[in-house]
Order: sequence, then C-alpha cells, then structure tokens
Amino acid sequence: MAALVLPAGILVALLLVAPMVLLFRISLNEFSPTQMMVEATTAANYLRAVGDPYYRSVLLTTLAVALGSTLLALTLGFPAAYWLARMQSRWKSLATIVVLFPLLVGNVVRAAGWLALLGNGGAINATLLGIGVIAAPLPLIYNTGAVVAGIVAVVLPYMVLTLAAVIEGIPRQVEEAASNMGAKPFTVFRRVVLPLALPGVAAGSVLVFVLCMNTYATAVLLGGPRFKMMAPAVYDQFVRGNNWPFGAALAFILLTITLVLTVFGSAALGRRYRRRLAEETT
Amino acid sequence: MGSLLLDGVGKRYGTAVAVERVDLDVRQGEMVALLGPSGCGKTTTLRMVAGFVAPTTGRVLIGGADVTQAPPHARDTGMVFQSYALFPHMTVAANVAFGLEMRKVGRAEREQRVREVLRLVRLEGLEERLPRQLSGGQQQRVALARALVVNPAVFLLDEPLSNLDAKLRGEVRMEIRALQQRLGLTTLIVTHDQEEALTMADRLVVMDRGRVRQVGTAEELYERPADPFVAGFVGRCNLVEGALEAPGAFRATTGALLPCAPGSAALGRRILALRPEHIALAPAPSPASNGAARLKAVTYLGALTEYHLELDGTPLLAIRPTPPADDPLRRLSPGDAVRLSWEASAARLLSAEPTDQQGA
Repeated sequence: MAALVLPAGILVALLLVAPMVLLFRISLNEFSPTQMMVEATTAANYLRAVGDPYYRSVLLTTLAVALGSTLLALTLGFPAAYWLARMQSRWKSLATIVVLFPLLVGNVVRAAGWLALLGNGGAINATLLGIGVIAAPLPLIYNTGAVVAGIVAVVLPYMVLTLAAVIEGIPRQVEEAASNMGAKPFTVFRRVVLPLALPGVAAGSVLVFVLCMNTYATAVLLGGPRFKMMAPAVYDQFVRGNNWPFGAALAFILLTITLVLTVFGSAALGRRYRRRLAEETT
Repeated sequence: MGSLLLDGVGKRYGTAVAVERVDLDVRQGEMVALLGPSGCGKTTTLRMVAGFVAPTTGRVLIGGADVTQAPPHARDTGMVFQSYALFPHMTVAANVAFGLEMRKVGRAEREQRVREVLRLVRLEGLEERLPRQLSGGQQQRVALARALVVNPAVFLLDEPLSNLDAKLRGEVRMEIRALQQRLGLTTLIVTHDQEEALTMADRLVVMDRGRVRQVGTAEELYERPADPFVAGFVGRCNLVEGALEAPGAFRATTGALLPCAPGSAALGRRILALRPEHIALAPAPSPASNGAARLKAVTYLGALTEYHLELDGTPLLAIRPTPPADDPLRRLSPGDAVRLSWEASAARLLSAEPTDQQGA
C-alpha cells in the first residue's frame, strides 16, 4: 500500500520541496546590482522586509484582504452551500455545475471582464456619464473593495463546495429533531447545523485563506498600480528588480505567515468549538 | 397534555396523492397506531402532526388548538425518529436537556428533570457519553428520554423499534407502552409491523395507498375486518374469491363450496375471509371421499402446526395447536385426504370492492 504513495511523493519532493529549499537558500544570499546575487548567509533580506514600512504595509494589506475575503466568502457561501446540500430535486447536479461554473473562467479573463464593466471607461461609468447622472467616473475599481469583491468571486465556489460536502453529511432528521424540541430556525442553525458543519468551515476557510493570501492576477488587475499585495511584490522583485534574494525572503515570509495562521486558526476554531459546547451543555 | 384531532387531513404533491384523507380523534392519554405497508402515507401523516409537512387539506388540532399553520417548534410535540436523530456533538445529558433549554427551564430544574427521565429509561451513569459511544438500544432510549422530558402534548413515534434486534424489540415495546400509560401521554405511533401495533396501541388505523381502511381496536380489526386488505394485513387470513350462491353457501371461483355465516348479505360476488386458526382438521377415510381436502405441506412450529391444504382447487391455510404425539393428525403426510370444518360464523363475507370505511 505504501508504495502507492510513492509516485505522488516523488512528484511533490521534486517540484515543491526542492524549489523551496533552493528558494530558502537564495533568500540568505546578498543582492548585488552588478552580479545579481552574491553567495552569503545573512538575515539582511528578512530584516529589510520586516523593517521597511512599505513592505510592512504590503503584508498588512495582504492579511487584511485575505482575512476579509475569507470571512465574506464564508458568510456568503454558507447559505448557498446549505441550500445546495439540502436540494432534493433533479436540478441538484445542474446547481452544482452553476456553482462550479466561475472556475471555468480563468482569473485573468474574469478580471479583464470586470475592468470592461467597472473601469473608468467601462460599461457602467460610460452609461452613467452618457445619460448625465454623474459628472466624473465613479471609482469602481483600483481600490481595496474591488479587489476583495474580485477575490471573493474567485474563491466562493471552493468555499461553497467544501461546505456543501460537509452539510450533506448532517442528517436532515437531526435538524428536525431540534425544531421538534422547540428550537427556532436560527437556533437550529446555531446549535446544530453550525457546530456539525465546523469541520467544513475550517477546511473551506483554510483553503480559501491560502488562495486569498497568494492572490496575484486579481490584485494586479483590479487593484491597479498603487495597490500592492505580497504575491505581486514577490514577482516584482524577481522579474523587475532582479533582486532574487529579497524576492525569496518576501516569498518565505508570505509562506510562513500563511502556514502559521492556517495551522493556528484551525486549531483555535476546534478548541473554541469544544469549549463553547462544554459551556452550553453543563 | 392534550388530545389530537386530525380533521380531513390530506397531502398531495402535484398530482401524486400521499395522503388522501385522514380523520382521527386521539383522546387524551390514548395510544393510536398508524399501520400499513410502506408508501401507505402513515409517515406523512405523522410528519403533518409534527409540522414537517404542510397538509394540502384539512386541519390538525392539538389540545383543541388549531396548529395547522404552526411551525414545528411551536407545536409541543415530542417525536422519536426512526433513525433516533440524536445530536451527535452533544452528550446524552445535553441531548435530553435540549428541549428544556428551548423552553427556558432554569438550570437546576433542568438538571433534575434530565436526571429523572434518564432514570426512567434506565440510562443513569451515561450522562456524559456521546451518542456514538452508545449501543443502538441505548441510543433509542436517549431518543425516548429527549422526547419525554418536555412532557409533550402529543408523543410521536416513527417506527421506533425498526432498528433494534428482535429480542430487544419485544422488551422495548413493553417499556414504551408502560411509560406511555404511566405518563398518560397522548401518542401516535407509526409502524408497518402489525404485531407491534397490536401489542402497543389502544386503537389502530390501518392505511393503504394514502387512505384509511379501518380504525378500531386490535380485536375489532382482527375479528371484524372491514375489507379484504385489513383482513389480510392484520393477522393471517385465507381470502377466497367467489360468490354467495345462497345464504350460508359460498362458491369459490375454483368451484369449491364453502359454508359461511348465514347472514342477510345480498347474493353476488364476495371475498370470503377465514382465519387459519378457525379451520379444524380430521383425517378423512379415503382420498376419494366427497368434500375432502388434500394436504399439500405441513410446517411444524412447536406449539403450533401449519397445514397447507387444497380444497377443490382452492388453497387454504390452517393453523392448529400441535396435537399430542399419539394423535392420528400427527401421522398425516402430504398427499393425504383431510376433512375440514369450521364454524359458519367464522367465515366472514367481505365486499369484493375495496371499501373506504372509516369505522371508529
């Protein structure tokens, strides 16, 4: 049986672990404008990333956008997932395809579409300007709101499908038992559905949070030139600045923070759930 | 506490009829069983009482109050689900306390009532277990306790014993009945198992294809079935198609002449219903003997013996107490001729057309 894991294991080792090790090694090197990179073992790149207010604000923006998008996706996704999971009719497979449909459109194509719709010269502003409702284009893009909306649109299917899979496992009769015992619909949700769906909430949030932290195309296209998140910043260092060591350090900071928050976040969710349960039932 | 009244309750899904019409009055403290094969509408009827299914016609009254439009949480029913439907993330105590919590019962009283009801269903000491750590029988008792603790106006049981093994089922049946009587609970139980219904309920409602076929006590249904369906569903019964030729003389379509109750029934097509235990047997002198039946098979069941017979082409089943070892009947073997007899009054004539009688 263990041998069956081998092909996937080798693939992961070759394509993920090896580049990571290499990247980490690069992040300890020194940058030289003439030679590009000088072999060294220094924490200077990390110290710069943490010390520079610009990169601190990029990191904070990334965290805020990722957290906000995850929460928004969770809030919007739960009712949809519940509805999908409880669907009985023959339309269920169709509904699942509709939920999946956004994934068929690539991020870049979608963001480009949003530009055409929301941009200063886009359909909405052009129409409103044309009929004279507004005098200047509305700032519909190139701001945090547009980026969050764009990201949520991308990650929502992941959240909905992850949640729906777990909610489907909650027997309908358990909910009926709660309402039979006198629980109003919101209480049924709070005391029965949500606690039982918590593994799905954790899994969906982790998945979506990681996707959000690493947003690239949506951030660049809908955020505009002055809006910066970590992934585009890493790209800039590698491709535009040719500063591989600093780019690698930024990448590692992004990776580490994502990993730490993911692990602690889901652990805390589990703990809190158990504690609250104990409080309410003793 | 209260009575339950179903007033012309029916449910349609588009053109499909799940429940045609149910009229039923369950008195305070009475236990009524909805009995029928799967798909007869009994579960839908129960779910209309609980409020999970909205009737398309009729009214549901609990304790005299019309609750037809009330949501499930406002109905004061306590339901035991077929799957038990325990809250898997809550302990036994929390499961049982849930309904009291929803009714805003204070903590001290809550704890006391949970303790009492757990003692009632013999689950003391398991308060802190999770449902998955319990056996099927224990889970079933938690489900009972959870529904009982709120002292519901109407107690609803949906096939509560179907997930238990045969031995436990008999025990739990008695326990539920004892609890129900002791607490004076107005109870509606759904079952497809006639033995369960006969032993537990004060009255039975036999349903088939969305219709009520007959309402009555176990004795009434067994001894005076309204139609062939009820006769065949409650207990075992020989149902013979044919026609009444003269008062007291029934001619089966196969040609056999069977004596029957000499009532004032009109002549014509009928179905004759004869319980297997009412047929007496005696060895016949010779196979050619007039009016003798032929024995096809004998099934020894210990206290009882089943005789599969054929009388002029009509198959009949007789069930008799197993005769003593020296009785000539013990030496019968398939192919032998036997003489059959029964009290004419035991053979009841039923209308050949299914009726819609709602006796009560």
